[in-house]
Order: sequence, then C-alpha cells, then structure tokens
Amino acid sequence: MAELTELTTAVATGQRAATLRLTQELLAAGHTPSSLVERALVPGMAIVGEQFKRNEIFVPEMLIAARAMKEALKILEPLLIAAGIKPKYTVIIGTVQGDLHDIGKNLISMMWRGAGFAVVDLGTNVSAERYLAAALEHQARLIGLSALLTTTMPAMKETVRVLKAAGVPHLRVVVGGAPITQQFADEIGADGYAADAGSAVELAHRLLAPAA
Amino acid sequence: MTSRDKVQRALRHEAGPVPVDFGSTGLTGLHVSGIAALRAHYGLPDHPVKVSEPYQMLGEVEADLAHALGSDCVGANGRGTMFGFPAEGWHEWRAPWGQVVLVPAGFRPREDASGDVYLFPGGDSTVAPSGHLPAGGYFFDALVRQEPIDEDHLNPADNCEEFTLLDPADIAHWQREFARVRGETRAVVSGIGGTGFGDIALVPATFLKHPKGIRDVSEWYISLLERPDYVHRVFTYQCDIALKNLATFAALAGDTVDVLMICGTDFGTQHSQFCSVATFDALYAPYYRQINDWIHRHTPWKTFKHSCGAIRPLIDRFIDVGFDILNPVQCSATGMDPARLKADFGDRLVFWGGGVDTQHTLPFGTPAEVRTQVTERLRTFSPGGGFVFNTIHNIQARTPVANIVAMVDAVRDFNGTPA
Repeated sequence: MAELTELTTAVATGQRAATLRLTQELLAAGHTPSSLVERALVPGMAIVGEQFKRNEIFVPEMLIAARAMKEALKILEPLLIAAGIKPKYTVIIGTVQGDLHDIGKNLISMMWRGAGFAVVDLGTNVSAERYLAAALEHQARLIGLSALLTTTMPAMKETVRVLKAAGVPHLRVVVGGAPITQQFADEIGADGYAADAGSAVELAHRLLAPAA
Repeated sequence: MTSRDKVQRALRHEAGPVPVDFGSTGLTGLHVSGIAALRAHYGLPDHPVKVSEPYQMLGEVEADLAHALGSDCVGANGRGTMFGFPAEGWHEWRAPWGQVVLVPAGFRPREDASGDVYLFPGGDSTVAPSGHLPAGGYFFDALVRQEPIDEDHLNPADNCEEFTLLDPADIAHWQREFARVRGETRAVVSGIGGTGFGDIALVPATFLKHPKGIRDVSEWYISLLERPDYVHRVFTYQCDIALKNLATFAALAGDTVDVLMICGTDFGTQHSQFCSVATFDALYAPYYRQINDWIHRHTPWKTFKHSCGAIRPLIDRFIDVGFDILNPVQCSATGMDPARLKADFGDRLVFWGGGVDTQHTLPFGTPAEVRTQVTERLRTFSPGGGFVFNTIHNIQARTPVANIVAMVDAVRDFNGTPA
C-alpha cells in the first residue's frame, strides 16, 4: 500500500505521474483529501523550499515540483470544496504596476499554494487599487508584491502606501524581487521582505500566526 | 595611447589606465532617456536620440557623447532587432514618457487607451504582438506566444527557425558596418547573434511571427531537466549554424574586431543560479567550448560572456569553456564580492562591468555615494589590468543624470585624465 511519505517524495522530486498515481491510491486507501494536503503535499513543498534556499536545487527543479503538486491539487481541490473545507488563509500576490516580470512571483505563488494557503494570483502590472480590491473581496490576510525593475520600485512604494492608508485590519503587505532589500522594505513601510521562495513561506507563516 | 590600445592592454591583463565602455553592446548601454539627459548636460547638439535597441529602449551613444563620457569602445552592430525588423529607415516617435526618439521603419506600435504600447514581429500588425510596454513602463517585455505542447510530437527544428546562415543582405550590412568602424581609435565590440545558447530573453522569439516549439519561459527551464535531448538537438543545430556564420563573419571582419559578444544567457538570480553546475556542464559547456575554440583558433578576438546574478559557482566553468570576458559582474548578488572575484579569477578573466550598482547606488544614491562606490570598484578591479569599466548592466530609465556624471567624473579622476 502506498505511503504518505512516497507522495511527499514524489512531489518534492517533481514526479508528476507518480504524484498523480499516489494521490489516487492514497485516496482509495481511505486517506482524506485534507490529510493528503497537510501530511504529504505541504511537507513535500517544504522540502523544495529548504533545498532551494540551500542552493541544492534550482528554478527548474522547483518548477517541476510545483507542477507535480498542481496535479495532485487538481484531484484534491474539488474534493475539499465538496467537503466544505477551505484553506485557513487567503493570500494575494502580483507584480506591481509597470512591471511584467513574473518568474519570481510565480515561484512564491507556487510555494504559498504548497504551504496550504489559498492564493489569488493577480498576475503582472497590478495597480494598488487592484491589490486592495482583491484583498477586500477575498478577505485576504496577506498581500505579496513583486518587482524586478528599479524603475518599478517606486510603484511598489506607492502600492504599500495605498494599502496601508486603506487601514484594512489584519492585512499585512510583504515585498520581494531582485532589487528589493530588507532596507527598502523597511523604508517603504512593508511588513516583511523575503529573499527567496522558501523564505517567503516562513515569512507568511510568521505574519499569519495567531499571535501576530 | 589610443582608446583601442587601452582596451587591448586591459584585455592582456596589463596594468594601465582603466578603459571604459558605454554603449558598445545591448548589455553595456543606457536607456534612451538617459542619453538625451546626458546630451543636454554636456551641451551636445539637441536632436532626437536614435533607439539602438528597441526591446530595452537603449539609445545610440554617438561619437560626441562617447567622447564626453570617456568611452573607449564602439559597437559594430548587426542588422536586425529583437522584433525582427531591420534597424534602418528611421522615423520619429513620441515615447510614453514624452521623449521624441528615432525608431526603425518596422517600429509601428499599437497604443491602447490605457497607455499600453504593443510591438509586432517584423512590424506586421496582422499577427499577434510580441512586445508589450506597459503604461508607466520604459521598455518592452516579451509577450509569450506558446502553442499547446504535445510531448509526443515535439520537434527540435521548431526551436531552430531563428538560426539561419548570414544572407546577402546581412553580408552587405556587415561590409558597411566594418567600413564605418575601420580606422576607429576605439576598440570595436561586435556580435553576430546565434552564439548564445538558451538565452531566456530570446526563447519567446519576439522576432518571429509564429513561433513554434518551446517558447514559454517556465517550459524552457523545465526542458533543461525533462527534455535534455530536445535541448541538445536545438543547441547542436544552433552551434553548427553559428560556426558557419563565424567563418563568414571573420572573413569580413578581419582584425577590425577586438571583442565578440557571444552570449547573454543569464545563469544567475539575485541569490542563486538558474541551473546546477552539473546541468551547465552537461547541457551548455560543449557548445560554448566549440564556439570559443573556433574563435581563438581563427581570430585574435576576445570572447565576452554576459550573465547577471549570483554566478560565482559557474565562473570557473566559464573560464574552462574559453570565455575571456565576464559581464556585467553583478556585485550586489550573493557571493559576488568584488575583492574576492578579483583575487580568485582576476588573472584568468577580464571583468567588463562591476563599476557601479545599477540596482541601488546609481539610481537611488547621492552623487557622493556613486563617486565613493565607483572609486572603490576601480581600486579593486583595476590592478594588473583585466578590467573594463562599465556599469552593472544597462543604465536604467529614471537614473539621475547627476549620478551618471558623478560616475564618469570619478573614472576620469581615477585615471588622471583631464575633463
């Protein structure tokens, strides 16, 4: 009989077909969809995040792991919805206005999804108003802003200003992207900064923890 | 000593005044808005700046500005552009930031009500656009046009459409271009295209009307792991065409060229690499080696490799496959400390870049901070030659002209040359 750890390994190593087969086998063996997410997929993507942070794997390995995870979620999400089970947190992500780059943003999006969050990905070239509207619509607790360009760093600053000025209770704003630093995040009043996709998961958990 | 002598000396790792490059390639230039600001600052004739590279909206550094900036290099450029139309037949266009610039005849954008601008491959607006300049932006990005991927019927030839032999129009262009730069006292930097393997900026093929094969960025990265045979077959075909084109080009160029830009493939992110060293060895190294070996056997040119990011684990590999020059030397990335790079690789590799941080200091610092960093980098990289001063990648839009001037002055003062 398939073990949960096999599914964890299949996701972490990006084995799409094995992930699909094991998900089906484990469901047939009586595991619940939520236990597969929490005890196999989330640990699998946590391994990916850790290995990425340690430079043991790189963007291609991360992409195939995320793709394997998505295969499992295609089966599991309808079952979770049918059972009325919702992710604990909804987070919003997007690349700021004027910036069309999305590799980094997509990696964070995958890792947050892999951490069990509901992720609303607004894509690229997102205005401050769109972030805010999405946060209100989805009752999000966290917004992630990405920027690759020095020329769009001012747009990130403006977005943080608009979101903070809206005064939405419990809404946190985090930033990242190649030219972004902790210092810049502090200067523009963001609630956090992550240097890579693995760190972005830790940051989100820290900010969303009940004590926060 | 001519500018060319200065560059040649640096390339031979001999001590001397630090040579400078502003604008000889599409990786060492300035946004067109910065060119106009600098022309005004130095009191040079006021006219619309020619967009030398429409994808990044880089501007032409004309001889008068090159002189003002102290640039020792000049580009001998190919005929085509990132959008597949030739860089010829110039007309005026008002950019979204209000600047009137000169663009090629094929540059016929569609602008929508929200201020977004779209460009078309070959200037053909009957096909889907391949470039998008968002409202508030300063350059184009590729619009990915990916047909559904059928794993069972993937054909590497589909990713080879862009690799073609130089045709009579190309050859005539190069003859004119070499006539233009022959006799130059500056070092000549050139590039023939098609020698860079897997450059992610080229994968979406903004220059093709109907790109086929793997054109999506993520799918290309996935291909490095899951479709290595496919990638090998693309690179093998590309390398074969490139070697034939190099022979044609070398016969035309002779000793006019000093440096050949080979490849702009980025292997680094801000904190890591885009692939493992093992993937580089297996997938890229054999082809780079063939290109560099051919050039070193048949020409006096030095070969130029561009890669952004935290690439320290790959630098030994770049040297091993025969690259002579590394650009842009992104010192702000993890593991790219200037002193360590110079100590560990400085005797085997020419650093063409690293002069100032274009992510932080140059656009957002004060002139004094720019001067301090530039002087530090000059002190670090210049001993024993092996250094051509250049910013870390192109100077971006919105960079204060006072900061650029502070950088230029710091280099001039370091070299002890009069303004």
